[in-house]
Amino acid sequence: MTATERNNVVEHGPPDARPIVLAHGFGCDQNMWRYVWPAFAEDHRVILFDHVGAGGSDASAFDRERYATLGGYAEDVLEICRELALEDIVFVGHSVSAMIGGLAAAAEPERFGRLVMIGPSPRYIDDTDYTGGFSRQDIDGLLDSMDSNYLAWSGEIAPVIMGNPDRPQLGRELTESFCRADPAIARHFARVTFLSDNRSDLARMTTPSLILQCSDDVIAPEAIGSYVHSRLRGSRLVQLEATGHCPNLSAPEETVAAIRAFLAT
Amino acid sequence: MIAGGGFEATAEDFFEDAPVGYVTTRPDGTIIRVNRTFESWTGLTRGDLVGVKRFAELLSPGGRLFYETHCGPLLGVQGSLREIALDVLRADGSVLTTLVNSVLRPADGRRPAVVNTSIFDATERRRYEQDLLAARRREEAIARRLQLSMLSGDLPAGPGLGVAVAYHPGVRGLEVGGDWYDAFWLTEGETAGLVVGDVVGRGLDAAAAMGQLRSAVRALALTGLGPGALLGALDAYVRRHGGGRMSTVVYAELDLDSRELRLACAGHPPPLVAGPGEAARFVWDGRSQPLAAHRSGASGRPQATVALTPGSILVLYTDGLVERRSSSLVEGMERLRSRLDGARDGDPETLAAGLVRGLDSPDHDDDVCLLAVRLTPDGASRRSRRAA
Repeated sequence: MTATERNNVVEHGPPDARPIVLAHGFGCDQNMWRYVWPAFAEDHRVILFDHVGAGGSDASAFDRERYATLGGYAEDVLEICRELALEDIVFVGHSVSAMIGGLAAAAEPERFGRLVMIGPSPRYIDDTDYTGGFSRQDIDGLLDSMDSNYLAWSGEIAPVIMGNPDRPQLGRELTESFCRADPAIARHFARVTFLSDNRSDLARMTTPSLILQCSDDVIAPEAIGSYVHSRLRGSRLVQLEATGHCPNLSAPEETVAAIRAFLAT
Repeated sequence: MIAGGGFEATAEDFFEDAPVGYVTTRPDGTIIRVNRTFESWTGLTRGDLVGVKRFAELLSPGGRLFYETHCGPLLGVQGSLREIALDVLRADGSVLTTLVNSVLRPADGRRPAVVNTSIFDATERRRYEQDLLAARRREEAIARRLQLSMLSGDLPAGPGLGVAVAYHPGVRGLEVGGDWYDAFWLTEGETAGLVVGDVVGRGLDAAAAMGQLRSAVRALALTGLGPGALLGALDAYVRRHGGGRMSTVVYAELDLDSRELRLACAGHPPPLVAGPGEAARFVWDGRSQPLAAHRSGASGRPQATVALTPGSILVLYTDGLVERRSSSLVEGMERLRSRLDGARDGDPETLAAGLVRGLDSPDHDDDVCLLAVRLTPDGASRRSRRAA
C-alpha cells in the first residue's frame, strides 16, 4: 500500500507548480478545505489527504503504536511528500495538523518552503506557567461526547442526512462521507491530539511560518497563538476577523488572502 | 381559525414557551435569539447571551471541543445536525443533558444566513442510554472473563512434546470473539488431544457456545472415538443443543510413540506440518463441512493420518491468522507457510509468538488463536527419559 493510497491523496492544479499541502485537523477530513483549495489550484499543485482513520483513508493501516504520538502522523506526511517527490512545499495545517506539519518540517527542513499554522496549539492542557485552556477531565469529557455521539460520528445515520432537501447541491458521496471517521480511531486520535505536548518542539521548527489566529477561538485562544508566535523564530502572526476554530470553512476568502499575502513575501 | 394578529401572538407564545429550547445564531455561532424555555432551563437570560456568547461557549468543555472540531464543520458543509448529544452548562454550573438538531438557513437576499437550533431535554433518555452502555460493557467484561477462564489452564508437556499457545484478540473488537483452543492428555505422556475451533458470532453467546463445545470435545475424546467419529458425535451434539452451529473445529490426536498424527477438520483452515529439513505443508486430508452444516447421519466424518518425524512441528490456527482485508486467503496461507519455514528453530513458545507477531497493526480486527506443537527431535531420548 502506498502512502498516497493509504492517506487518500487527492491532487488538483498543475503538477509542475509549487506544491501546497493542505492538512485537516482532528474531527474532520480533507473536505475541510473545499472552499480553500480551488483558490490555489490555478497556480499551485494542491495536495489534499486524509489522516489514517478519517475520511477516505485506509483505516486498516491504523497502528496504535505508530500513531501513539503526533510524530506518526508527521511521518505519514513525510511519506506522502517523498512519494510525490514534493519540494519547496507550502504546508498548511489546520488545528492539530499545524503541529504535525511543524514536526514534519523539523524532521526534513529542506523539503519545506513555508509553513502555515491555522489555530495551532502546542499543548491543550494547562500546565505550570502555561494555559492550554483545558484540563485532563475536559479531554475525558470530549471522549464521552464522542461515545454519546457514536452514530453521528461513524456515519451510520448518514442516509437520513443524505435526504436533506434543503441542500440538494450536496452530492450523495460528500454527504455520506463528510467528517466521518472510524469511531475507535477517532477516539484514539482525540487522545493523541489533546494530550500532546509539542512546546519543546517549536524551537526545532525553522521553516518560515505564518500563524493564523482566529477571534473567539475556544480551542486555540489568542494567548496560545501569541505563545506559538513567540517560540517560532521569525514567524508571523496574523489575527483574522473570522471567529471560531475553522476559518477555512467559515471565512475561506480571508484565510486564502492571508496565506497568499504570506507567500508573496 | 385564528385571525391575523391572534395567530402571530399564538405563534410567538409557542416559540417562547415551546417544550423545546430554541436558539438562533449567526453562522459563526453568535447567539441572536433564544426562547423563554431555553432561558428557564438554563437560568441564562437573553441579556447574558444575545450578541454576547457563541453557542459552543454554552457547552461543557469536552462538548465544546467536540462541537468545534466536528459539529461546526459538519453544520457548515452539510447544513444540518441531527440528534447530537451535548451537555449545556446552566448559569449555576450544573449540566443540562440535551439532544440538539440544527439547520443552517442560507442567506436569501432579504435575510442573512442563520442557524436554527432546537434543544431537547434528554436527561432521562441519556441516563437510559448510559445504563444500556454500562450493561453492554458489563456483558463484554463477563464474556471476556468467561473466555479467558476457558483459554487458560495447563497445556500438556513432557518428554517428547512441547505445546505453546498464542492468543491474540482482535485490535478493534469490543466483544470477545469465538476463537478457542484446548490441549490435554488422552493418555498421560503418550497421546495428546489438540483442538482449535472458531465459534460463529461474538460476545456472551459465542463464549457460552465455546464452553459447550470445549466440554463436549473433552468428554468425547476420552471415550476413544478418534477424530473422525468424535467430530461426528460433536455434530450430533450441536444439532441437538443448537449452540455452536456452523462452527469450525480441527481435532487432532498425537501419538508420541508412533509419532502418528490422526486428525479431522470440520470446515477449519488446514493444519500446517513441517518435518525437519522439509518444507512446511498444509494437511488437506480429513476435511469435512462445519459443524451441523449438513444432514449426514451420525456415521462420523473423514479423518486423516499423518506420519510425523522426530522434530516435526504442527501448527493449528484460526482463520484470523491468515485472513487480511487487503489480501486473499491463499496469500495469507502462503505467508504463514513461509513464515514457518523462515523460523523453525526454538521452543514452541518462541515459534507461536513469532507466527502471530505483527498482527497488532495493519488490517487486523479478527481474533487469532494458534497452537504450536513440537515433537522433540529425538524420539528415543523421550523414551529413555521416560524410562529413567
